[in-house]
Amino acid sequence: MFAAPTLNLWVITPLIILTVWAIILMFIDLFIPAGKKQWTGWLTLVGLIPALALTLMQWGQTGGAFIAEGGQPMVVVDNFATFLNTLYLLTGILAVFISVSYIRDAGLERGEYYFLMLFSIVGMMLMGMANDLILIFLALELLSIPLYILSGFDTGSDTSEESALKYFLLGAFSSAFFLFGIALTYGATGTTSLPVILDTISLDDPLALAALGMLLVGFAFKVGAVPFHMWTPDVYEGAPTSVVAFMSIGAKVAGFAALMRVLGQGFPMWGELWQPAIVVISALTMIVGNFAAVRQQNIKRMLAYSGIANAGYILIGVAASATDPEAISASLYYMLAYLFTNIGAFAVVIAVEKLDGQKGLLVEDYKGLAKRHLLLSLALAYFMFSLVGIPLTGGFTAKFYVFGAGVTAGLYWLVVIGAITSVVSAFYYLRPVLYAFMYEGPAVARVSRGLMFVLVVAVFATLVFGIFPGPWYELASQATFGNVATFVAGG
Amino acid sequence: MTSQQVIFIILAVITLASGLVVVTNRNLFHAALAMMLSFFGVAGFYVLLEAPFLAASQLLVYIGAISILIIFAIMMTRRLMSTDESPFNSQWIAALFGTLLIGGLIIFVIVSVFSPFGDIIIANSAPPSLAVQESTVLLGRSFVDPDQYVIPFEIASVLLLGALVGSIAIARPEKES
Repeated sequence: MFAAPTLNLWVITPLIILTVWAIILMFIDLFIPAGKKQWTGWLTLVGLIPALALTLMQWGQTGGAFIAEGGQPMVVVDNFATFLNTLYLLTGILAVFISVSYIRDAGLERGEYYFLMLFSIVGMMLMGMANDLILIFLALELLSIPLYILSGFDTGSDTSEESALKYFLLGAFSSAFFLFGIALTYGATGTTSLPVILDTISLDDPLALAALGMLLVGFAFKVGAVPFHMWTPDVYEGAPTSVVAFMSIGAKVAGFAALMRVLGQGFPMWGELWQPAIVVISALTMIVGNFAAVRQQNIKRMLAYSGIANAGYILIGVAASATDPEAISASLYYMLAYLFTNIGAFAVVIAVEKLDGQKGLLVEDYKGLAKRHLLLSLALAYFMFSLVGIPLTGGFTAKFYVFGAGVTAGLYWLVVIGAITSVVSAFYYLRPVLYAFMYEGPAVARVSRGLMFVLVVAVFATLVFGIFPGPWYELASQATFGNVATFVAGG
Repeated sequence: MTSQQVIFIILAVITLASGLVVVTNRNLFHAALAMMLSFFGVAGFYVLLEAPFLAASQLLVYIGAISILIIFAIMMTRRLMSTDESPFNSQWIAALFGTLLIGGLIIFVIVSVFSPFGDIIIANSAPPSLAVQESTVLLGRSFVDPDQYVIPFEIASVLLLGALVGSIAIARPEKES
């Protein structure tokens, strides 16, 4: 009575590789002696690189697996998912290069670090591939729970534990909102599958409206958008810096991935309803993020507020996608450019950070850096220019495309706010650069080979995105949602 | 009003009223007990909806595990059970009745099932309706059917593995270096 199940495992092969390798790695780690734990880190790449290669092979393919109710697949792979999966895997690979020397020097060298990182990446990838609200929720938890633990990985430090607890409590709170939104969606439509929601939802159902609101709150928490951003600075300040570098990109991009898919595939016909909400959140996020960053003395807190502000810029593209689905590609390109700039900036922070007692994290600690470390200071300056959005950097072209998408969608005043807040951001981004070049001071840095690699890659990528953005934007513009109808035929 | 509606209203009152007590009561311990009552009401809803598996899970997981864990945590942190207090309080008679009642019930069930008449009692008790039987089977099958919920099921197990490893990673005592 059991028909042979038709499984399309090709869709989730990268996820399987990462999960299985994480578990194997945990066992291998048992046999690696205490002094050689960096090998666990390098072995993580053995899982990440094949997963990246397979993901790149999936480019251009659309497919679905695990057909559930309504004949719709639960997991899909389309260019949208593949593009984002590439971002998570690149983030993961660069984060390994950052982490190996950092966690050794910080005394956090334990094999579970990489295990949790791999599991978190699996969750991130699922966020963009999930076509069903249940699966999105599970992916959200799978990406978050390892990050809660990684934030508190420095068990000897009070600030690290505080950051983990805050992240965990507020994350659980936001998950509850999200789950409530799923429950209400199910109540309104009788399904959790995004394409079926699209078919069955009725436009004047107050239950569905409340559901959409709850889902938006959950996502806004995850991406750190105002007014749900309060956790970000404390978590970023306390967590180990290598973890912050990883999650400031991964968790944010994953949150956006699911937000875009839910809005774009579950509720696209409600565009005129959710667009004003996204516009207001975007404007508030840019204003609060940038103005609050001005006052920060701790560079990790400053980058936390910078991360909030950048979520606001990405949201411009999301808001514009209500009327023009193509606008998503501007946000995708923004995340691609932001990935390299941001991880580069964190690499500089890690180089300057002194691990005995959380020192070297104040903006003043950058005084005189250029005297001793000219190249590092130049890299810092370049990343900060990119974050401000000065031409010839990836940050400039990213903002250019996002603002362009906003103008095309007629969101003029939102773009004006974006431009003004970018000018404000120059004030705080350029302060560490100013201190590094213009002041005398005792700043020293240590650049390990792993950090050097990340810095070179980040500078190079930011430069490429700044000078030749065309082909990359072209890739982002191909990263649209797959046509759902084809899954059923092909799946 | 049908009997189902009456039961629903009673359960709803129990669930909501005890939920209200949870958030308004200043005594943490009483709040935890009220929360158990609220969970119990929710389990009753599942029975009403002919979902016996969910009702049993609700009892086992929420009342049996989570609430007890919370009560343990309260007892260990708040010194509610300080030793100089008498183990008897004003409610000892009521507590005695409650325990005797439940203990008697358990003994009665065990004795009657294992007595020579046990088979007759089991044979005469009403079997669960077909819909109830099927709902549990369907639930079980849908978790492992690739065309239903096998992928969320597997992801949930991966998630639990991650949480398990993570909790050990942070709970493990620091090694002196």
